[in-house]
Amino acid sequence: MTTIGYSYEHMFAFSPPRPSLSPELLARLRPVSLAKSRTLPLDEPWRALVPGGGLRRGSTVAVEAPVGWGGLSLAISLVAEASAQGHWVAVVGVDDPGIVAIAELGVDLRRVLFVPRPRGAWAEASADLLDGVDLVLVRPSSRTGFGAARRLMDRVRERGTVLIALSEPRTAWPLPVDLSFRVTRAEWVASTRLDARYLTVLVSGRGEAVRGVERVVVVPNRRGRAEAT
Amino acid sequence: MEQLLAIWVEPLSLEQPDGSTLRDTLALFDALDALCPFTEAVRLGLYVLPLRAPSRFLGGDDAVLRAVRQVVLDVVGVSPKLGVAEGLFCAELAAHRELVVPLGASDAFRRAQPLDVLGRKDLTTTCQRLGLYTLGAFADLEPARVAERFNKHALMLHRVARGELAELEDQRDVRLAQRLARLRGESGLFEEQSGFFGQRGAADDRAEAAAHRVRRRLGPQAVAVASLRGGRSPEDRATLVPWGSPVANVRDAAPWPGQLAAPSPATTLAHPVPLQLRDDANRPVMLSARGALSGEPAHVLFSSPLRREIVWYAGPWPLVERWWSRRRRRAHLQLVLTTGEALLAVAESSRWWLVGIYD
Repeated sequence: MTTIGYSYEHMFAFSPPRPSLSPELLARLRPVSLAKSRTLPLDEPWRALVPGGGLRRGSTVAVEAPVGWGGLSLAISLVAEASAQGHWVAVVGVDDPGIVAIAELGVDLRRVLFVPRPRGAWAEASADLLDGVDLVLVRPSSRTGFGAARRLMDRVRERGTVLIALSEPRTAWPLPVDLSFRVTRAEWVASTRLDARYLTVLVSGRGEAVRGVERVVVVPNRRGRAEAT
Repeated sequence: MEQLLAIWVEPLSLEQPDGSTLRDTLALFDALDALCPFTEAVRLGLYVLPLRAPSRFLGGDDAVLRAVRQVVLDVVGVSPKLGVAEGLFCAELAAHRELVVPLGASDAFRRAQPLDVLGRKDLTTTCQRLGLYTLGAFADLEPARVAERFNKHALMLHRVARGELAELEDQRDVRLAQRLARLRGESGLFEEQSGFFGQRGAADDRAEAAAHRVRRRLGPQAVAVASLRGGRSPEDRATLVPWGSPVANVRDAAPWPGQLAAPSPATTLAHPVPLQLRDDANRPVMLSARGALSGEPAHVLFSSPLRREIVWYAGPWPLVERWWSRRRRRAHLQLVLTTGEALLAVAESSRWWLVGIYD
């Protein structure tokens, strides 16, 4: 058995330098996994606003909105399509989730785990869930520290999950994220009842992501869904 | 409200380490279930069944009591304590006192109970200092006064004392039915819940393992799953139950007459918060018996001194429904505040409550 160990070492020690690939060939190489499986699908109004038309696995998404301005509805609408297509979702730190509204937005409740009151352990609970589900929507109960945010984002990248962090402007996610949605205006349209809410959303990101596009999206509409204007 | 027969079997209420308690609980459940198919194992030692159907079948209430007593004697070898009253809360109290509370008398029975039946020592002591000794005296407090002095949990107890809720929050052991099913060798409920097109894949296993991890970290109630059931208002239609507990996962596909239309509030408060509506002259806005508002709501006041201006409202949409057997009159109102928030409020027993936020 020892000779095998030795022979491996030997092999590496004396292996010739790897031949470099030609630039033409490099340009045609693709990662083994298909692009499709590396992103999670998005609902119709968001598809056109996000590069690749989906949420890239391993990325962190921030949703920022003042209290009562539809941040929760927006964040849920981001997971709706993936959920409808069979992916698992966890919702952490949303104390009293409106189950009916969540279903109206298109989420399949059969594959959603709720951790409504993580009692200060929202980061730990999220980390536990990142290993088991495809998308984690978390509303931190307090201002997020750099350390906790960094550890969670590393874990997300490693596991290929998508983390959606929901916060208010004053407790914003402390680190730059791959994609961010900021609600800058919320306006209700009403007849004899509340009909629809028009959210003005600033979508921005880094890398190949868009450089700050501001769009108006209806969340929710008359049927409780998200819709493009 | 429906008369329930509560069956208290003291020896089964304490779990023995050898697993015999659960086996006996299951054996007794099966025997009682043969007698009345609507029998429920509420928690260890406590069973409940609706009295009316077996009474008609066996020829009277006394015949049911005799039959149940015999079944328990045969299966467990001890005589149970039996009690009859309306609603689970009263039925259990009646069982501990071995009483049959006649139909229609449960309200009076409940109001005469001492406060410690609510199981909260701090509440009992505080109320006694205020000169309140019975559930009835506690029930007569205004909900807003209770909200000021106590926490949310006390508000729920207050609703139990008033007869608005028929059972205490912790009266049921939601895990018991699942444990019994597992003992019987039936597949766990989680499989049924999570199966995608009837198939269970690696993703479901991973999600289950993750849920287990969170539960170990935060406790058995920490992870919940949701389902929809019939009902008219968003707060009635939603159920969030601890993960792993039995849940009738019925998607509410059929239209429910008079259902509050979409969109629904993304936050639905499990414990409604009391609020007050005022008109421009700062007079309280109330809901009349006919379902009309006494004035135009212009301001909303929360019990913390927080006042917000209303820019738009819609409703009231009255709901008259049978809740247990008492008519329950409620009305919903949608409010939009100057801050841009939209709220769903409900009037019940001449009080306004915040039940939803369109967040």
